[in-house]
Amino acid sequence: MNRIEKFFETTGKHFKKGGKLEKLWPFYESIESVFFAPARVSRVAPNVRDCLDVKRYMMLVIVALLPHYAFGIYNVGYQSHLASGLGTDFWPVIWTGLKAVVPIVVVVYAFGFAWETLFAAVRKHEMSEGVLVTCALLPLTLPPTIPLWQAALGISFGIVIGKEIFGGTGRNFLNPALTGRAFLYFAYPAQNSGDAIWTVLSGGNTSPVDAFTGATPLSIAAASESFGNLQSAFADAGYSNAKLFFGLYPGSIGGTATFLSVAGAAFLIILGIANYRIIFGCILGLLGTGLLLNLVAVEGSSPYLTLNPLYHLIMGGSMFAFAYMATDPVSAAHMQGARWVFGFGIGALTVLIRVFNVAFLEGVGLAVLFMNLFAPLLDHLEIKMKLRKRIPNV
Amino acid sequence: MKSDIEKPPMKTIRIKKGYNLKVIGSPSTTSQKTEQPTRLALLPEHIPFVKPRLKVAKGDSVLLGSPLIEDKRNTDIQFLSPGGGHVADIRFGPRRVIQEITIQLDNTEKAIEFERFSQEDIDKMSREQLVQALVAGGLWPLIKELPFRDYARTDFVPPAVFISFNSLEPFHPAPKVYLFGNEALFRFGLSVLEKLAEGRVYVCRHLADAELASMLDGLINLTYAGNYPAHDAGVLLYHMKSSPDENRSWFVDGQDVVLIARLLRDGVYPTERIVSLGGPGARQPKHFITRMGAPLSVIAAERNENENWRYIQGGIMTGYGTLPHSYLGFSETALNLVPEGNRKGELLGLFNPGYRKPSFSRAFFSAFNREKLEMDCSMHGGERACIACGYCALVCPVDILPQFTYKAILAGEVEESLEHGLLDCVECTLCSYVCPSKIELFETLKNAKAEFYKEQTSR
Repeated sequence: MNRIEKFFETTGKHFKKGGKLEKLWPFYESIESVFFAPARVSRVAPNVRDCLDVKRYMMLVIVALLPHYAFGIYNVGYQSHLASGLGTDFWPVIWTGLKAVVPIVVVVYAFGFAWETLFAAVRKHEMSEGVLVTCALLPLTLPPTIPLWQAALGISFGIVIGKEIFGGTGRNFLNPALTGRAFLYFAYPAQNSGDAIWTVLSGGNTSPVDAFTGATPLSIAAASESFGNLQSAFADAGYSNAKLFFGLYPGSIGGTATFLSVAGAAFLIILGIANYRIIFGCILGLLGTGLLLNLVAVEGSSPYLTLNPLYHLIMGGSMFAFAYMATDPVSAAHMQGARWVFGFGIGALTVLIRVFNVAFLEGVGLAVLFMNLFAPLLDHLEIKMKLRKRIPNV
Repeated sequence: MKSDIEKPPMKTIRIKKGYNLKVIGSPSTTSQKTEQPTRLALLPEHIPFVKPRLKVAKGDSVLLGSPLIEDKRNTDIQFLSPGGGHVADIRFGPRRVIQEITIQLDNTEKAIEFERFSQEDIDKMSREQLVQALVAGGLWPLIKELPFRDYARTDFVPPAVFISFNSLEPFHPAPKVYLFGNEALFRFGLSVLEKLAEGRVYVCRHLADAELASMLDGLINLTYAGNYPAHDAGVLLYHMKSSPDENRSWFVDGQDVVLIARLLRDGVYPTERIVSLGGPGARQPKHFITRMGAPLSVIAAERNENENWRYIQGGIMTGYGTLPHSYLGFSETALNLVPEGNRKGELLGLFNPGYRKPSFSRAFFSAFNREKLEMDCSMHGGERACIACGYCALVCPVDILPQFTYKAILAGEVEESLEHGLLDCVECTLCSYVCPSKIELFETLKNAKAEFYKEQTSR
């Protein structure tokens, strides 16, 4: 304890005013304040302040994401061993998963931190913790086969274009992690779409063993020919409802685990970090739209329309995005009523993009970004309505 | 069957928002006389909006009740000497702000004699004469006008006057302590305010304080329930008003009604003040009977020694910090001692479950903790941009959306901020309290409000 304090004291002086590394003060401060909260007292009323700060707020989101990493590492290794015809013993699987995931995470954090430090140093303010969450979210949405330089480019685009050019955390209107993800999707479709990208091959294999099909539930649903009976198509491909819910199939690193997303959403709602209105709005929008498509489906329309809407909820990354992306307080709608509409729009668009746009198998990311654009308008409308009820005081 | 107990059903205002701090150091209802101070002071710096002009110089001898300063904006309004003796010192701050006028008391303490009034006199005299008597007696500034909370305009008949008891802010004097034995005086003061308001006076108590109801038998005509700041006149008005005409209502603190009554009855500038001492720093949080302008050291004589205390005059939320050797402000009746907390946090405190860390949010285990907790003046975090968590709007008792209103203010959109209800702000400071980004929302709103007020009155 004493040693840690001493360490910060001796290293800290280089970063303080007049020190050699004065310019990197925000970087140093962001590390020190994780270990010791800064000594700052209130100068104006109220004299006392709440113990909650942004650091704690963001830290709790990262805590909610840690199980996804644990799951993601296992699943990447597990799929890799299946595809490569290797055994599925626990520790070798974990080792393979670690080899695939850790480099991506390290690269993403290194680049994310570098950008954030640069902007904080130039703007002379403390580093915002939002970057920690962005860097934790982005890898979970990426395919495990992504080239590391693309991961670096993705986080750079997300942080710089998605956030910093608008003024940094709190002033961005798009979710930075999704901005980075969408950029990669459109800029490098070869490495970011198709069935092959979701599985890392190991053990010297260059193509998967015959018994392994890398088809994701979303691609099966989009390609299915069996009108009114997509469930059997899923069953033929080995996708039971439980498998969809638990997410042990090829997909992005941590986004397929619907059960963890549900748990994480509950955790964040209970702690008051995520707003339940957004999450329930998303689910309602998704189920409602799915049901509507069931009703309008006629013989000859795409079989995807007839899919039981619950499948939309458990397959792919929809619940992951609802729990962690849609609820980003900055880019979401800010008013309570607008949050319902915002969520509903995300859910509805997710289904519409999935069903009607064959080019985008997973629509939820784009749906969130699209509704991010509408959030200020929704807020504006609700505020206008609220203000009309006030008895004027001028 | 008609009975004389039958009354119209009393209105209860229930506040759903707001928040109660769970902090230790609530004053008990016992009261004790402090030692007799030899020096008193007036602190013009802390009287809001007043532009003081000195009426005395260092060394002048003054009587109890001689004017020390007048308000340049309205020279009829004077602030009187809280004691008789001579001006020992006048201390100026930056830009010649008058911080402190100190009076060294002499043994005889001669007093200026004002006119005395009986209940009959009050009933007979005109409203103008009554205003005149209060202005001359130096207590007019105790009557405040919403929404700016400056002292009331003398030439204006308010739509209503609120006298609110049981402040929910930690910690203010308990009404039953300062009203005990003074019930008749309070009645007398109430009749004065009724005359000033030409009708509507609301005497308000917390729904839970039944004891007060029996003390002020039949005088209470409004009750409220809910969290801090449900007691505030601005909050009560916001939830009651039916038209913009009511916005300029007045309010007076319960103890100040007694003070006003004493001035008019005795014809002498009243000196007695009952002050509560609370907060974690008070060894025995309780009430003290002392004088207006008394040195804080006599009130805080019994404090815990092991800390660097902030001497907060007024409540822990809205009060201002003063130095330990300062004096009681003109209208202050509360002193709270809270640790400065100017030190680094404990190792990896960020990951502490926080069973003893008070928070409005549910992000700490303290959400399960019903005990009162230690608090200090630490900011508990660095300044960040708004992350739109919306906590400020969840606590605002008058439904302002502080996160949007403050952005409108910073963008210079005065009209928009007014539309947002800026003037309804009751200055409870809860928005700043809950903000995880540590944005000074309250300070921004308050300054914008004051700016608007100054602009309006200078026209």
